[in-house]
Amino acid sequence: MARDLMFQQEIKETVQRAYAAIATGAGETVARRHYNDHELAEVPPGAVQWALGVGNPVRYARLESGQAVVDVGSGGGIDTILAARRVGPEGRAVGLDVLEEMCERGRRHAAQAGVEGWTEFRQGEMEGIPLPDESVDMAISNGVLNLSARKSRALAEIFRVLRPGGRICMADLTVEGELPPEVANDHSAWAG
Amino acid sequence: MAERVFAGKLQRAGFTDVWVGGHRPFGIDQAALYPLFTPEVIQLMRDTIPADHQDHVATGVIVKARRPR
Repeated sequence: MARDLMFQQEIKETVQRAYAAIATGAGETVARRHYNDHELAEVPPGAVQWALGVGNPVRYARLESGQAVVDVGSGGGIDTILAARRVGPEGRAVGLDVLEEMCERGRRHAAQAGVEGWTEFRQGEMEGIPLPDESVDMAISNGVLNLSARKSRALAEIFRVLRPGGRICMADLTVEGELPPEVANDHSAWAG
Repeated sequence: MAERVFAGKLQRAGFTDVWVGGHRPFGIDQAALYPLFTPEVIQLMRDTIPADHQDHVATGVIVKARRPR
């Protein structure tokens, strides 16, 4: 058990160190793989540049005006801003990110997008979401759950903050079969 | 994490109506576009993953589920 906890802490520190060190997101090439022209026109260039996701959860989320949504692992805010546009000023969008500097980036991009009035960014971990119980209608995330060493804990937290009947819509990567041990055991690979 | 493991974790957390779709292959060339993958990791993947699997190392998916009422 103690070794497992050390291992989890090691993964967490490796991921956060790698995440804090990046100077930019995956950029427009990756964004164009996941978002269409209309969606990209809805967010400021900085949010596009900082896109780090692996899909487009907002497109599948069927958000409605007036809903409250949390974006777990919001990064530069591209999905938070798209979600904010879908829920509108009668709704509420919360971006959650482990790095305060990334939250600052999200706030700047939300202001540039004109959605700052009903959008906020909070620093926190997905394994301890700083939101009350049953406070959101929808949770989205994009390429983030895979970075957690405590995925079940993160999912339990999302369950807690969702209202009964609330929904989760996540884009992520799955791996079938085994990766070569050299890759699976490489600390840097965890961060990717 | 395998797709069935992902779905199982959601169910154990209490979610229902689990749906997995939107499958898209994710290869090493795509991974190389993300700054969280270091050049060393990308090279390690190119060196150790069989050539015929390098364009589909992982699968991008959309996963949806619901908290029961």
